[in-house]
Amino acid sequence: MTRGLVLVSGKGGVGKSAVAAATALAARRAGKRVLAIDMTDGGGLGAHLGEPDLGFKPQVIQVGLEASTIIRSDALMEYLRVQLRVPTLATIGPAARAFDALAAIAPAVREVVTIGKVLWEVKREAWDLVVADAAPTGQIGSFLRAARTIRDLVPSGKILDQVQWMEDILTDAEQTELVLVTLLEELPTLETEETLAWLNADRLVGRTTVISNRVLDALEFNGDPPDGPVGDTALLAQALWAEQQEWAGHLPVDTSLPYLFGTRTPAEVAERLADLLDPGT
Amino acid sequence: MTRAVVVTGAGGVGKTTVSAALGVAAGRAGRRTLVLTVDPARRLADALGIELTNEPTPHPHEPNLWAAMLDASASWQEVVRRHAEPDVAERLVHNELFATATSHFPASQSFAAAEEASTYLDAKAWDLVVVDTPPAAGGIEFFTAPSQMTELLGGRLLRWITGAHVPGRRFLFDRTAKPVLRLADQVLGANLLERVAEFLMDFRTTYDGVAKRARQIERHMKKASTVVVTTADPAPVRQAEKFFRELPDVAATPVAVLFNRSLPEEWIGATAPSGTEPALAENLWRWSAESQRQRTARREFGERYDTAIATIPWHPHPPNDVESLAAMVESAEGLPTLW
Repeated sequence: MTRGLVLVSGKGGVGKSAVAAATALAARRAGKRVLAIDMTDGGGLGAHLGEPDLGFKPQVIQVGLEASTIIRSDALMEYLRVQLRVPTLATIGPAARAFDALAAIAPAVREVVTIGKVLWEVKREAWDLVVADAAPTGQIGSFLRAARTIRDLVPSGKILDQVQWMEDILTDAEQTELVLVTLLEELPTLETEETLAWLNADRLVGRTTVISNRVLDALEFNGDPPDGPVGDTALLAQALWAEQQEWAGHLPVDTSLPYLFGTRTPAEVAERLADLLDPGT
Repeated sequence: MTRAVVVTGAGGVGKTTVSAALGVAAGRAGRRTLVLTVDPARRLADALGIELTNEPTPHPHEPNLWAAMLDASASWQEVVRRHAEPDVAERLVHNELFATATSHFPASQSFAAAEEASTYLDAKAWDLVVVDTPPAAGGIEFFTAPSQMTELLGGRLLRWITGAHVPGRRFLFDRTAKPVLRLADQVLGANLLERVAEFLMDFRTTYDGVAKRARQIERHMKKASTVVVTTADPAPVRQAEKFFRELPDVAATPVAVLFNRSLPEEWIGATAPSGTEPALAENLWRWSAESQRQRTARREFGERYDTAIATIPWHPHPPNDVESLAAMVESAEGLPTLW
């Protein structure tokens, strides 16, 4: 967590939004001005920040921490106006909607608008840190590759002029970090492994770190587990721990976050994870 | 008649495993069963013991069990070949934009899944088809996909872009007439715009066929029994609730919510006898609190929605053969009759 941008990705269900919210909270506690952006339409980031209905315009979560979500039509309008300097767009709202439909068919245009919004927030330097709850690992590649795809595909047009600074920010290891959240279970581990492989091969992003979530401690005790709930819970804890150990060996894990027992609300989860994330690292 | 069981829910809750387990159990109960899966883990595919391809394949030892894997791209090619003129269809599937378009259209993977499921339901070769749903946005897409596709192909937007009738090439030279085309021209460049426009003109010719098919798919989905899988964690529960709120409008109310990874209720409030090792006592306290939290989540769900609440115990190791898949369903409690 340095200055710049943290993109948080991971397979569905691993706690990606919780880690993104916790990262934003921890950075805020370390005195940074932070913007948290939800790049997905799941609404998970807002729930973990205690503001379930985020809008396109950043709203204040606490002093120094604001949060927003990417509404594609708004992002597209802003992109056309601010980035591409297409004039008189206010009068052609329906055209922008129709353009969105056209853009859906042209590879990477939608993705470049979404990731472009996030990168624009980094570029304009209003924040010390931008934290994005990014697309899940299954789709993150099309966002990270969007600028490159545009460059290969679009022979001319204003969009081409925009992709260079985007790539520069994304691939700057000082500025941009991609966090892959995983669980130590088969599917998330293998998907993370695959993602790391193509990320390294294609050099799409500055730095990549891996956070394993819901990690259990080893349970050590003497003798055989007794009958009844004491023994049953012990056997479950041991079996789950062993299963996690099997998958832990597959990944270069940078940070482990523990299984939070008895936590109820998403906001509570994010606060407790923020306590555990060291803002100095 | 072939019955359909649709298994849905948030990502990471074990949907695919539950689908496979239900399929094995139904097969053993004497129902000729096809499991249509989306993207199974290697270990689950191994556990199921069927070589998974785009075509239904019988299990070597389970006489009533078949499985197939969804291939959205192949399904889309079939859809286009079925509903467009042969030469247009060939042009479409070989178009460089075909892959992006069919993966980017709203709900297109879901449409492919629903369309493939319907094909197997129409085939009448099985008593039961268990459908695992793609992890698309909210999962509700699986049910809204047919009408979304119809709307997209026949909708004002596309008509507006390509003209009232399926237009000829003249449209391409007319693009300065419409603000959206001028805009697209500036942003994307004329060359890409022309390729997109040509693609759209071809694609619109499938409208009549796709619209008709979409209505058939919707009829199937209204008759299907939907099971919503979740864990007791807040995020998937929130998603599960969404199905109960929104599904009645587009399909049928789910028949059950299935809480996977459930802990025994006997653990709630259990205390360690005196003399228990501190580590074990602490561990009991943790899992007991977790079990209590889970029960609260189930009860709150039951208070909000009038539905069967089923549980599958937390198995520390994922199923690794058909026996353990069958055992998973045997250990379930509260599951209504699905076949």
